[in-house]
Amino acid sequence: MMIQITAELLMAVGGAVAFMITLYWVRRRELREKYAVGWIVLAFLLLLIGLFPSVLKTIAEASRLSYPSAVLFVALTLIYLYSFSVSVSLSNQYRRNIRLTQQLALLEERVRQLEQKLNTPPAPPPGR
Amino acid sequence: MTALIVIPAFNEEEALAGTVASLQDLPSGFEVLIVNDGSTDKTGPLAEQLARTSRVPLHVVHLPVNSGIGAAVQTGYRYAAAQGRFKYVIQFDADGQHDARYLVPMVQKCEAEGLDLCIGSRFLAATPEGFQSTYSRRIGIRFFAKLIGLLSGQRVTDPTSGYRCAGPRAWQRFAEHYPEDYPEPEALFWCARNRLKVAELPVVMHERQGGVSSIRQLKAAYYMIKVSMAILFDRIRRLEVRA
Repeated sequence: MMIQITAELLMAVGGAVAFMITLYWVRRRELREKYAVGWIVLAFLLLLIGLFPSVLKTIAEASRLSYPSAVLFVALTLIYLYSFSVSVSLSNQYRRNIRLTQQLALLEERVRQLEQKLNTPPAPPPGR
Repeated sequence: MTALIVIPAFNEEEALAGTVASLQDLPSGFEVLIVNDGSTDKTGPLAEQLARTSRVPLHVVHLPVNSGIGAAVQTGYRYAAAQGRFKYVIQFDADGQHDARYLVPMVQKCEAEGLDLCIGSRFLAATPEGFQSTYSRRIGIRFFAKLIGLLSGQRVTDPTSGYRCAGPRAWQRFAEHYPEDYPEPEALFWCARNRLKVAELPVVMHERQGGVSSIRQLKAAYYMIKVSMAILFDRIRRLEVRA
């Protein structure tokens, strides 16, 4: 028997794979639980749409979009929202990094001053 | 009255010694801070060596990784905030473009006129003199001057000049928030818009002695767009300082 490859099947498989990938990385502690929640939700949505295509069809009909354009719209929306949130957290991360770098440099200078006052040989300056 | 001269230095081993030498005749009250911005050349050890021999008190901080001009200059403001003994913080280039003879007049102007920010301008003298950047850059500089004037009502002629003296109201805020890359026009706009007292002092600048400008030709377009947008973004922020 030939299995016909359909969008529904692809989404169901994709959802299952997304589930496994997420669980694998959380288990290795390389993905924070905070982010895993979002990915689990996404995998769940994929599975749901794959297994029950009528859900998306209903949405498509209600919004008067064709099925493919409804899929595209939902996918692009999710990609947009996710990428944007990554940009925001990267910006936060950047600001924190800079602040830590500066504080480290200022503290290192104070340590050197203290060492000099204590008459111990100063530590060699960092850098190459 | 005490002033801290902040010299951000990223791979400036060629020009740094000359720049520090030009500061040795400053009167008491001036101190120097070299911010080594994660240099990969000998800037760090050289700065340490200069600190040992300098007549004017010279301090050195080393950012462990290259963090960009905005972060480096802000480190100076944060140093001043931590030390608590400086009234003015002056930004001064390591590459020999800035002339030390304007340092005292700049601080005097701030004191006399109660300025929050005094900028060394290449374009204020009656007759053009010294190095005034390339033609295309002057167009860009005039554009920013117009933009800042339009959005804040502050007349400026050299908004990209990195030769500037900040009073406490300005630098204490800069210690908390300072723009990242290409910070000069944006920081100036923030001051102007928040009704801090800004003025310019005519200065003559030299061509750089070593190193490369942080703005290369290919980045010029990005620079123009990024800084313009940053200024426009700042325009829609809430005002922070009340007169």
